[in-house]
Amino acid sequence: MRDHVLLYINGRPEEVRGERLFQSLTDFLRYDRQLVGTKVVCAEGDCGSCCVLIGKPAGDALEYRNVTACIQYVYQLDGCHVVTVEGLRQGGQLSCVQEAMISCQGSQCGFCTPGFVVSLHAMLETRMKLTDADLRLGLSGNLCRCTGYESIIKAGVESDITNLRRANELYPPTALLSQLRPAADESVRVEHAGRVFFKPTTVDEAVRFKSENPGCIIIAGGTDLGVVMNKGKLTPTIVMSLAGLASLKSVRVEGTTLSIGGLASLAEMDVACETHLPEMSKLLRRHGSPPIRNAGTLAGNIANGSPIGDTMPGLYVLNAQIELTGTPGVRRVNINEFYTGYRKTVIRPDELITAVHIPLPAAGDAYRLYKISKRYDLDISSFSAAFWMRTSGDTIESIRIAYGGVGANILRLRKTEALLAGRPFSDDLIDRAATSARGEITPISDVRGGKDYRLQLGENILRKFFADREDNEVLTPSPGTPGEGGGEGSVAIRSAPANLQNSHPALSRDTGRGFNANGQERA
Amino acid sequence: MNAVGQNIPHDSARGHVTGESVFIDDMPPLKNELLVDFLPAPVASGKLKSIDLSEAAKVPGVVLLLTDKDIPGHKQFGPVFQDEHLLVEEQIVYLGDPCVLIAAESRQAIAAAKKKVKLDIEPATPIFGIEEAIEAKNFIGPLRTIMRGEPERAMLEAEYTLSGEMRIGGQEHFYLESQAAIAVPGEHGHIAIYSSTQHPSEVQAMTAEILGVPFNHVIVHCKRMGGGFGGKETQAAQPAMMAALVASKTGRPARVVYNKDDDMRYTGKRHPFLNQYTVGFTRNGLITALRVDHFSNGGCTADLSLAVMERAMLHTDNAYYLPNVHITGQVCRTNLPSNTAFRGFGGPQGVAAMENIIESVALHLGLDAMDVRRRNLYGVEDRNITPYGQVFKNNVLPQLFDELSRASDYANRRRQINAINQTDRFRLRGLACTPVKFGISFTKQHLNQGNALVNVYTDGSVMVSHGGTEMGQGVNTRVRQLVADEFGIDWKNVYVTTTSTDKNHNTSPTAASTGTDLNGAAAVVACEKIRERLRAFASQHFSDSSAALAALPGNIVFQDGHVYDDRIAGKKITFKELVAQAYLNRINLGERGFYATPGVDYNRDTGKGTPFLYYTNGAAVSEVEIDRFTGELRVTRVDLIMDIGQPINPGIDRGQVVGGFIQGMGWCTTEELKYGPGGELLSHSPTTYKIPNISDVPAVFNVRMLDNPNSSMSLKRSKAVGEPPLLLGLSVWAAVKNALSYIAPGTIPDLQLPATGEQILMIMTKLQAAGKSNRAVLSPAAK
Repeated sequence: MRDHVLLYINGRPEEVRGERLFQSLTDFLRYDRQLVGTKVVCAEGDCGSCCVLIGKPAGDALEYRNVTACIQYVYQLDGCHVVTVEGLRQGGQLSCVQEAMISCQGSQCGFCTPGFVVSLHAMLETRMKLTDADLRLGLSGNLCRCTGYESIIKAGVESDITNLRRANELYPPTALLSQLRPAADESVRVEHAGRVFFKPTTVDEAVRFKSENPGCIIIAGGTDLGVVMNKGKLTPTIVMSLAGLASLKSVRVEGTTLSIGGLASLAEMDVACETHLPEMSKLLRRHGSPPIRNAGTLAGNIANGSPIGDTMPGLYVLNAQIELTGTPGVRRVNINEFYTGYRKTVIRPDELITAVHIPLPAAGDAYRLYKISKRYDLDISSFSAAFWMRTSGDTIESIRIAYGGVGANILRLRKTEALLAGRPFSDDLIDRAATSARGEITPISDVRGGKDYRLQLGENILRKFFADREDNEVLTPSPGTPGEGGGEGSVAIRSAPANLQNSHPALSRDTGRGFNANGQERA
Repeated sequence: MNAVGQNIPHDSARGHVTGESVFIDDMPPLKNELLVDFLPAPVASGKLKSIDLSEAAKVPGVVLLLTDKDIPGHKQFGPVFQDEHLLVEEQIVYLGDPCVLIAAESRQAIAAAKKKVKLDIEPATPIFGIEEAIEAKNFIGPLRTIMRGEPERAMLEAEYTLSGEMRIGGQEHFYLESQAAIAVPGEHGHIAIYSSTQHPSEVQAMTAEILGVPFNHVIVHCKRMGGGFGGKETQAAQPAMMAALVASKTGRPARVVYNKDDDMRYTGKRHPFLNQYTVGFTRNGLITALRVDHFSNGGCTADLSLAVMERAMLHTDNAYYLPNVHITGQVCRTNLPSNTAFRGFGGPQGVAAMENIIESVALHLGLDAMDVRRRNLYGVEDRNITPYGQVFKNNVLPQLFDELSRASDYANRRRQINAINQTDRFRLRGLACTPVKFGISFTKQHLNQGNALVNVYTDGSVMVSHGGTEMGQGVNTRVRQLVADEFGIDWKNVYVTTTSTDKNHNTSPTAASTGTDLNGAAAVVACEKIRERLRAFASQHFSDSSAALAALPGNIVFQDGHVYDDRIAGKKITFKELVAQAYLNRINLGERGFYATPGVDYNRDTGKGTPFLYYTNGAAVSEVEIDRFTGELRVTRVDLIMDIGQPINPGIDRGQVVGGFIQGMGWCTTEELKYGPGGELLSHSPTTYKIPNISDVPAVFNVRMLDNPNSSMSLKRSKAVGEPPLLLGLSVWAAVKNALSYIAPGTIPDLQLPATGEQILMIMTKLQAAGKSNRAVLSPAAK
């Protein structure tokens, strides 16, 4: 059991103890280490000015991803290598990204620039070149108020990687791994001034700690908690980080079920969804931003219980099972029965979410997710919806509908489902269902939209689903999908770097993004 | 080779990309430094009866608590009217009005102290909206008028008339570096301030006044800002004053850095406007009479609201000749943070009013709005006098329209959209073109001045300082280019240093797009004076009595790092050698240049004058796509053309054009300020306030500059570029209005600004209901 946190910053080890442990990474970098290239604007992960690379051991090297440092806390980063903009110097030379940003006039005021430089480097960790489409997705977590982005896209496209030294070349992994690997297998406990930090390495340890400390705050990616803590709404006295629970990292398909480990990041989940649940993958690419998805977890979203969580409705209509591990053992709860009120769940004091099991739609099932937000990317839903439907000829055999942003929790539209089930399609039926959907929801007005707007969306989105269905755009394709390895054990999915996923053809922006009939895929 | 006209990198680019550029809060803490913050009033209106600081004072780490009573100098200040306070004396005028200054050793101590201060407040009923203020006759300043012709008679005689009103939302600057300042006390009551400000001289003046010391006791430094956009023209002064008060009271350095939430909640924004109009026009859409009444939400104090309104009125014509016109403007006082300068400075709101009128006229007549715009455009030889009497010279608008129509393939795309909007049940499309004619100069005459200091060192390197401030727009880079060319040296040998009030005094804010025009011109004046002395000296050097070559200063040429007499071939000395020799011969190698824009003036009482040196023009065609079910908006294609004369730095200027357009597009679409019932801003962080994201950049975005030799009386034939392109964002808004007009032909969509997805959906729903009653209209429900 270690009594401090060990992390590396720009290749140098830092043993962090006491008060300093409980700082945000940006405070630690800026005020403790005077590494002020990393800027803070919003302190809520929503602008990207604080992006750093976080490297974690993966095989015989480290895997580096960009993460918003403002909502990472130092204690979360035990066993990690943090590379800041200062650490991207290629010897005495500027990197190709930096050179291109200069020659393309990619900076104006310069405040967002270090964040963009880091995110561009993160993209080049796994790519040989950057395209316009890559950049529009890969940089969607970085806001710039001056340039209008054109020059930054140009800089990305024109970055010549001939002489680029990637993070594993700048920081030879052997030396780092010799320190970081043992650290990963070691639990950590730090007590300071009445505050406790604990990092277990086994689920048993974690469950025991949680049952002994029922008020403890559990942190995985911390993308929600970091915001709450930064805004002074929470100062936890006892924190347990799940970062050491390697067994919860896995993402697997077993039979017709996709299982997302409790510690798998949304980016890792996206890799699996791209093959096995493409509709969810499309949504995930609008969930937060790349740096948020690199840190945040699905289990964290579920535990957080926000009624506007982007992934939630899609899990409801598939009857996702939440795996809870506690002292007596493991149990599974259908997500539809998981919440008991606004941000209240059935999790017992000693339980952890260790996985989410998602039954995959069968070939021919319709599965469709919608997210409506004020801005297309890097925004929280004003309204969201999910549909799963099985038909038989012209008849709706079975349908499940869930809406988000219309009440204290995600809402299943049971009456509308009952109205539709067993009936043949007709314009009249859809009209009645749309009216029913509107009547079934009780949205409120808030900063993200008015009540009337959400009521109208509740009605229209149902119409849109059936219109999309007419264009045969909602069906789950049959070949080569789930179940292929079923029965014979499970297919483990390799977790490819998040950045690789960004060049998704479905999000090519030359055509009507998201607004065409096929939901983003019609050419 | 000349530096002017080259795309040389921004002078801070290297520091930006490496993270080495220093912003205020990047400066390492000085020994003994205190952190400072303020306690915001929890209500928007009321009487602060008493403050109990006893518990807060006991918080460990708290060093000083200050209230209004502790201010040694002026308690009232303001850029125009002295109607602002730094700390509440008695009247709370907005939610967040600072009541107590807290100086402490740590942020934690400040946070703890905030909870311990007890305020005894008698709340009053606040006013937040323009209509409420009009009702209560809560105004700031007089009603202003610009009038020409016989608008009333022309309206009566008009073939058609149309009336309406439009609400225009405010806009948060969202500069990434929040307001910040550090004050360092010096000897004998002097103080140095490091401020993220567009207006160091005002920070200096305000600080000196609040401390009760002469201006010469305060030096304000500004290396750079992490964005300004107008938000740091006047409102950078408050944090500087706070830091200065604490530094002066304690003798310790003091730092104020607003967090983003507080910055957004408690500082001013672009003014929301309400305009009411009646327009008279012919069957061809030619405007024969116009009446527009503007009301703006000034917030709690005057700040720059009157000047903003003035510019809104001066830009209500936008690009169109209005023979009979009556424009009024009234600023309303409300209990919001005082609204302030924002890129465009009222111009965007004035132009929004006009472009809405044009779209409405076109829809009313069933004409293409492009044709209506062409018909009303200012003439080149006639129909070229503005409502305030300035002659619009060098009008390139017709040329811009022609080139843009061609480049954007407007007519074909209009036909395609007409067809597809009849058949596509998923998507609705719209297309619009809006121009801009933006007046360059401060409308306050005295601000049209600049000064610059140029020092030539004996190694031939040159240091320049000027009154402009660098906020990313590239003023320092452009000045660097101008100065390099004056001496014929490599731009790398010119360094533009930190702006400070000891080197450059009585400066104007870096605003109104004039940063380079004023300060660059002043730097050129300084260079010319040094060059005159160097010419005289060099001419002696090159004179040769044996060859009967008399010393002729006029023949001395500075080029490519060398100096020579153009009568003598092959004989050159380097600039470095010349200045080294000049120094030894006691030639003055430094100079201060001063520039005042010639001939601009405006009489705001009569609404007449020639307020602008010239106009910067442009136009954009935008196409949008709307999801018929959800109202989601996407800008699919933009073609934009600007006339910026002969740019000093084409790369930097392009950045201004593109960045300005996208910022304007944000104002017109996703940027929505939402307030709670008590006046609390709900959209106070990027989570809830949505500026454009990289994925919002139109997939097709063609930006070009008109090749214009430019005969305007401007610096090196360049044109100011900072603000004008922002106004072209209105083409996106107009395209949304155009798209919505397809739902129920004959009904003018009542679109306000910004055109959020929510507003679009609600209007579509309403129009569909209206449209259904008289004709079969495509709607999500229809098959």
